[in-house]
Amino acid sequence: MPQLTGGRVLREALRGQAGRITGSALLSTGHQAGEAMVPVVIGMVVDRAVGTGSSSELLLWLAVLGAVFLTLSFSFRFGARLGERAAEQAGHLLRVRLTDRVLDRRGGADTGRLPGALASVATSDAARVGMIALVLPLGVAGILGLVVGAVALLRVSLPLGLLVLFGTPLMMGLAHVLGRPLQRRSEVEQDRIAHTAGLAADMVGGLRVLKGIGAERAAAERYRLSSRAALTATVHAARAKSWHDGTLLAVNGLFLAVVALVGGRLAADGTISIGALIAAVGMAQYLIGPLSMLVWVNGELAQGRGSAVRIAEVLASAPAVGGDAPLPGPVTGRLAVRGLTHAGLRGLDLDVTAGQLVGLVTADPAHAEALVDLLGREREPDSGTITLDGHDLSTLDPEAVRGALLVAAHDADLFEGTLRDNVVAPAGSNGNGPGLPHQRTSPADTHGLLSAALAASGADEVAATLDGGVDGALAERGRSLSGGQRQRVALARALAADAPVLVLHEPTTAVDAVTELHIVHGVRRLREGRTTIVITTSPALLAAADTVHFVADGALTASGTHEQLVREHTGYRATVLA
Amino acid sequence: MTEQRELLPTATGRQTAAALRALLRPRRWLAAAGLLVLTAATAVGLAVAPLLGHVVDLVTSGAPASSITTPVVALAVVAVLSGAATAYGLTLIARLGEGALAELRERFLDRALRLPLGQVERAGSGDLTSRAGNDLNAVASVVRSGLPELARSLLAIGLTIAGLAVLDWRFMLAALLAAPVQLYTVWWYGGRALPLYARQRIAVGAQQQQLLETIGGAPTVRALRRREQHLGRVTARSQDAVDLTMRGVNLVTRFYARLNLAEFIGLSAVLATGFLLVRSGEVTIGAATAAALYFHNLFTPVNIALGLIDDVQAATAALVRIVGVADLPEPVAPPAPRTPADASLHADAVSHAYTADRPVLHEVTIAVPAGQRVALVGASGAGKSTLAGLVAGVHEPTSGSIRVGGVGIGDLDPSGRRAVALITQEVYVFAGTLAEDLRLARPDATDAELTAALERVGAAEWAAALPDGLSTVVGEGGHRLTAAQAQQLALARLVLADPAVAVLDEATAEAGSAGARVLEASVAAALHGRTGLLVAHRLTQAALADRVVVLDAGRIVESGSHDELREAPDGRYAELWRAWSGRREQDA
Ligand SMILES: Nc1ncnc2c1ncn2[C@@H]1O[C@H](COP(=O)(O)OP(=O)(O)OP(=O)(O)O)[C@@H](O)[C@H]1O
Ligand SMILES: [Mg+2]
Repeated sequence: MPQLTGGRVLREALRGQAGRITGSALLSTGHQAGEAMVPVVIGMVVDRAVGTGSSSELLLWLAVLGAVFLTLSFSFRFGARLGERAAEQAGHLLRVRLTDRVLDRRGGADTGRLPGALASVATSDAARVGMIALVLPLGVAGILGLVVGAVALLRVSLPLGLLVLFGTPLMMGLAHVLGRPLQRRSEVEQDRIAHTAGLAADMVGGLRVLKGIGAERAAAERYRLSSRAALTATVHAARAKSWHDGTLLAVNGLFLAVVALVGGRLAADGTISIGALIAAVGMAQYLIGPLSMLVWVNGELAQGRGSAVRIAEVLASAPAVGGDAPLPGPVTGRLAVRGLTHAGLRGLDLDVTAGQLVGLVTADPAHAEALVDLLGREREPDSGTITLDGHDLSTLDPEAVRGALLVAAHDADLFEGTLRDNVVAPAGSNGNGPGLPHQRTSPADTHGLLSAALAASGADEVAATLDGGVDGALAERGRSLSGGQRQRVALARALAADAPVLVLHEPTTAVDAVTELHIVHGVRRLREGRTTIVITTSPALLAAADTVHFVADGALTASGTHEQLVREHTGYRATVLA
Repeated sequence: MTEQRELLPTATGRQTAAALRALLRPRRWLAAAGLLVLTAATAVGLAVAPLLGHVVDLVTSGAPASSITTPVVALAVVAVLSGAATAYGLTLIARLGEGALAELRERFLDRALRLPLGQVERAGSGDLTSRAGNDLNAVASVVRSGLPELARSLLAIGLTIAGLAVLDWRFMLAALLAAPVQLYTVWWYGGRALPLYARQRIAVGAQQQQLLETIGGAPTVRALRRREQHLGRVTARSQDAVDLTMRGVNLVTRFYARLNLAEFIGLSAVLATGFLLVRSGEVTIGAATAAALYFHNLFTPVNIALGLIDDVQAATAALVRIVGVADLPEPVAPPAPRTPADASLHADAVSHAYTADRPVLHEVTIAVPAGQRVALVGASGAGKSTLAGLVAGVHEPTSGSIRVGGVGIGDLDPSGRRAVALITQEVYVFAGTLAEDLRLARPDATDAELTAALERVGAAEWAAALPDGLSTVVGEGGHRLTAAQAQQLALARLVLADPAVAVLDEATAEAGSAGARVLEASVAAALHGRTGLLVAHRLTQAALADRVVVLDAGRIVESGSHDELREAPDGRYAELWRAWSGRREQDA
């Protein structure tokens, strides 16, 4: 696959809308041509009717004017619709494509990028690239409008036409030169404004914490300072822009004076008619329209290119993990770790017998995180292997791995929706990758799974407190639940997936000891006969495990039952019994 | 789900107008000066058409070619003058608009931060964030580009019509033939656009929220293989926004088609009037030309002014959402603020319901004598965090009262030292430098005080090891702190806020057993000299407390010392303790 560049993203987005863009360009050209014809027709009316007093000429030319208006109005209406549709659709498709890339089984797009920043690429940048589908036809139309005007003028008078034809690009160049310092100012302004907006969003995000320490006023004051700095920058930028606009206006007026001078002398000499003079003057004024439009189009193109580069960077981010081999089923659930080195782990060796409940204790919480990332195929290990039933995870399709080996991360998110939707994915929503060993389940099974998972995790109690039970709604990220309730629902979700191998990371930190015991028994019973690995330092969970492995200094240090390890290993005791 | 949310208040038209007046009043001289300068600029610019008409007249009267120089020089002078005056006038207007905008956004955020937490959370964080982001932007862009354009366009229209009247009053009448169509169009459009824009803003907010949820939860979505479900949700939300936008576009293009009709009517009428007046010898061809050019020059300002109605509609939909929050009354200061007599904490018969008819706390009464520590324990979902939030004043109880040192928390002096502070169950690191984050708790703290606070909670070492020390940027986009470090930071904020009463909700839960021991020391240090209410599943915390209160299903079921409760047969606490210590003590 050739390298995905901003240019390619842009081209592909435009190619997808080629029909609409072409249609819009044609219609917009019709519109511009119509606008350009208006001053010409005004000149004709003065020339042929007002100057001569002929009523029939008046009616004739007013009819022509009517036809011109009809054309320009119709062309604008449908040209604009096509252009906007192209822009919106292109932006929408990019948005979906970006989301698809972020959610891709191989990951990598969200590594090192903040959700807020990624969301802004998917909204602002996608919209900006889409905008190009709208401005491109307008640019074409603007240029053609200039040409039509110039041709009309050239036919009336060669010197006047040439003057307008050469004067116009000159003015455009001037506008460009004048606009450059403006761009710098506006960048500073943008930065300050973005900072102020970001500050507001951050404070709203941490509202609970702010209120807890009564820092609302201090936060508002901090925002005020940032807002004042933004104000200074925007006023500066606005002043620069005002003088830029004023200068353009003056330059334009001076140009008009020159046209009037040349045209007036030609008319006085009798070289051209009064109508031609009027048309020329009208044209010099009309040209401001397409001209400033071209300046605007230029700016949009520059922004669109910048956005396309950012989009391309996300789309082309290196996958975090590889592998595409199918996982031959059925999975027995035997796991082996060999020489695993990654983020603090140093040559970890570990064997998990199929069907066991295994406890895994790491002295350093960072090592637990590393294992969670590796087992969940969020990262490739620096070196070493993890095999499932003898197959190296790194060679397998990540989607297939996750179907067989589900990792329930400690910080897993709940989603807005009903409790049921959170726990069991609605039918048909599981992305079934190639060679997925895990079968899709029937509705009856789903129901059984749901209630079993809810009971085992203690989330049935949560359902009981909700209006509507399992069909009760949860707020975004499950914020309408207590901390322990959120954790139980996330656990129920992991259990309901019914994966051959399940890895749970600290699933009970937010629940009380009695509920924890209940969960321990529930998990033990529900996962009977299937491999379950619990990465935790909680004694209650560890005591229920068939085997416990203790990882210290990044390597396997001891294995045995919880009781044995507590008795025999001081390091283990220090880690687990606090 | 968006439909059943109880969104934050939006302002009525009258409230919005009043808020705008209040913003403009202190800036009225600036507004007057800006308008004056722009009027002058526009008036000067109006000389262009008659000057051109004069050129036409000179030509038709057969004057020598050299006579044209004078009006042309005048044209050049007009160009320079109107350019300069326009620039200056626009500067003044920008200062006016930007100043008002800054004041509005500052007041918005101030009120937004003081909204009751429950209200914000019921509305969904997307509601407030999209107001603080999208809506403020929409208003800003109209203020930035729309306001000056509007001022110029309206002036141009008014003065051009006056100019037409000066040429001949009949020209003006002819031009005004376009007005009924324009007025009708505006009325026709306004009625349709406003509701559409309101819906579109909500759709865009929903799209944003879905993107944040899906992208923020990407690892979870991958792990559970729910990609298609989430892709479907994002696609649906995005398509909704696109569809509504396209409906708006259809409306706008029909709007402009009607305006084109008005242009044609007016222009034909002016031309026909010129024809008749020239034929009857009442005006010169130059005047007729000037009239036609005047009217042709009106196209752009009229389209801009009427087109801005579109932007203004969109901005109004945003503005009502901002003013709705910004205009909330300032929380009333107590008429007679009182200082707490001591550091004791009392909750009397406190009840709370997040949603009406679903109470989660029932008449809870709890007393913490000054300087003592009370542990609040109980099953998950019993209402501990709720009670913690209530005593810290983060939520308002549905009924009952809370007193600190004998003073109701509503009667505490709001400008004084914070009486109660809460460390919430979730940790949050604010974006900015470490020092800025800490100073949220005490804005006037010196660097030495910040360091001392970090030292006290055992965070000085890692803080000093950060790349830029106290100036290291942390939080979103900055240096990432571990869960334990973030929790220590929260404790350092507590030390700086220096409240008499500290409420800690699971301050040691997320760090794992080993990390918890370190944090327990930090907690002890931060609590030193304060009254403490500690919510804890880790019962080691409870064992150290002066008293333990057990909450179950929103009611206090036991209360006493750790030893008393532990011994009680069939007690809730005894059961919790057995479950907690069972695997910890037997072998240790
Ligand atoms: N924002 C909210 N909106 C609606 N209901 C809520 C909200 N927060 C909590 N609840 C409900 O109120 C009850 C008490 O919750 P609370 O957070 O006080 O429990 P908790 O004792 O702190 O539990 P945990 O130990 O799990 O943190 C729970 O049933 C919970 O679902
Ligand atoms: Mg809680």
